[in-house]
Amino acid sequence: MILMLALFMAGVLGVATASADETCNSPYITKLIKGQEDYVYVWTLGVEGLGDGSDKLVTIDVNPKSKSYGKVLGSVSVGTRGEAHHMGLTDDRRFIWAGGLAEPKIHVFDIGTDPAKPKLVQTIADMADKSGYLGPHTYYALPGRMLVQALSNTKDKGGVTGMALYSNKGEFIASYPMPTDNGGDGYGYDLAVNPKKNVLLTSSFTGYTNYMRPLGELVKDAEAMKKFGNTMVAWDLKAMKPKKVFAVPGAPLEIRWSPKAGDNWAITAAALTSKLWLVKEDKGEWQAKEVGTIADPAKIPLPVDISITRDGKGLWVNTFMDGTTRYFDLSKPDAPKETYTKVTGKQVNMVSQSWDGKRVYITSSLLANWDKGGADNEQFLRGFTWDGKELKPAFEVDFAKEKLGRAHHMKLGARSLKSS
Amino acid sequence: MRRTGAAALALAWLAAAPVLAHEPIIAPLDYEPPAAGTYTLEHILRAPDGEVLDLDGRPAPLVRFTRDRITVLGLIYTTCIDPDGCPRTLPIFDAIRRQAAASPRLRDHVRLVTLSFDPERDSPAAMRGYAGGRARGGPVPWHFLTTRSARALAPLLDGFGQDVRVDVVHVGGSRRREISHVLKVFLIDPGGVVREIYDSTFLHPRTVLNDVETLLLER
Repeated sequence: MILMLALFMAGVLGVATASADETCNSPYITKLIKGQEDYVYVWTLGVEGLGDGSDKLVTIDVNPKSKSYGKVLGSVSVGTRGEAHHMGLTDDRRFIWAGGLAEPKIHVFDIGTDPAKPKLVQTIADMADKSGYLGPHTYYALPGRMLVQALSNTKDKGGVTGMALYSNKGEFIASYPMPTDNGGDGYGYDLAVNPKKNVLLTSSFTGYTNYMRPLGELVKDAEAMKKFGNTMVAWDLKAMKPKKVFAVPGAPLEIRWSPKAGDNWAITAAALTSKLWLVKEDKGEWQAKEVGTIADPAKIPLPVDISITRDGKGLWVNTFMDGTTRYFDLSKPDAPKETYTKVTGKQVNMVSQSWDGKRVYITSSLLANWDKGGADNEQFLRGFTWDGKELKPAFEVDFAKEKLGRAHHMKLGARSLKSS
Repeated sequence: MRRTGAAALALAWLAAAPVLAHEPIIAPLDYEPPAAGTYTLEHILRAPDGEVLDLDGRPAPLVRFTRDRITVLGLIYTTCIDPDGCPRTLPIFDAIRRQAAASPRLRDHVRLVTLSFDPERDSPAAMRGYAGGRARGGPVPWHFLTTRSARALAPLLDGFGQDVRVDVVHVGGSRRREISHVLKVFLIDPGGVVREIYDSTFLHPRTVLNDVETLLLER
């Protein structure tokens, strides 16, 4: 109740949705870019009256040695506006799957043939018919397959949902409902795999009826505000069966396993409660434990995206409401400590970093109906350098000025990944 | 009955382990897989067909090697030196073969296939040298195959979804071919449908044999 009131007082609420970058890719993607990336692909929400108004994949040159550094190289429109949100690379890194939360469509872009010029090659439109799920969110590469976590369902458009499994060729294989028993609320958001432990973790957000609703309305609706996820689930990956449901209040969102070899823990941020949670094996069983606080939860900073360093010792956290990018020392993952903050925009959502951690990219948009208004509605991709002490601005692309739309999810690309 | 089968497999694994003393050590699996038969292996895709060459250079359709038995098929090239790549498959296939051969339940139902995706270098003769004593017959057959040309190989790679990139680099005036790929091993049911795709993170004799047992329990 206090939380609802606080949200209402805040006037605007942003609960992000995300899943980023080079250190946060599926472990089945082996072609990680460990040097200088050449491109950032930005999956961009269309805005009515801006350019063609459609969702699009925007390619930006981010190689400082390039003549077109910091410039838009091109964009590929999908011809519709469907609340473009997240995307994911296939295991061979030849394709990007990208989707919208307003429709059950998944767009497949070929980035292997010419990484500088992605091409729309397929649109998968059978997810609703085959699985009953709506709002594809996370695209997680498995060998030869893509596991898609949805946010909603076609029956009541609420938050009870599941995962859909596709072959890399875009053929539907199976669906897996989120658990509604043993403490499960049935909600979904992100997913992340630890193959060495045969564990899949999932988190939970909310359904179409909430995330597509104007924010001002939503926060005044007490019943609707109860319909946010409060759980994470540990699954037996091989069997695709839930093993344990954790109570993680306040919409736990992005899940990041430590990329460091030998580490077997994951971290997540709960958006509404502004808490960091650690998932770790203890005494032969997976446990979830609250381990830290992000800013002042009473001020509703809304942590919306996180990005873990490749050694598992640092975590970037973007808080949407105050437009702040924060760095947490994760040397002790059960006691994260905030060591750096910088206001990086009027509103910030996604944060991605290069493999070496020296470059950090930030975008602005959360959801079409939840982004801020007026002058606070900045839409951008901003590139920064990071020397371990200071985030220094390197370039900026103004997505409104360029008539592109609302900048959301990012993936990195490289010329060297061109298919033969 | 199912648990008995899994237990028998585990025993076979333990019994076979000392014999491995002269072979690369395979790290133990870091988790207990679900019991065979308690989970579903999805129908991922239909294994493709196309002409392949055996060790004598005789052409045959690949389906001859991917039907009627449960097939564990690895796509490799013989000059690969990535320790997490192709070389990793050999000791694991050795262990699978040995344990399957030791199991009356499995030995008549399993085969192994090693298929090269480098026809330029991996001639039937090169494959014979790569196979060594492994090409000899036994209760669990192990076929070493290649293709006549890149053209003959292409539909197989496309059908399996195997990404292979060939770069030609010039070093000191000499031409060198470099191949990059993601290691994939395919579990194919007797009907020719791919039911699991292993990469280096979970390719292990226990996971593969557990899945083989699961497919057998479908019958």
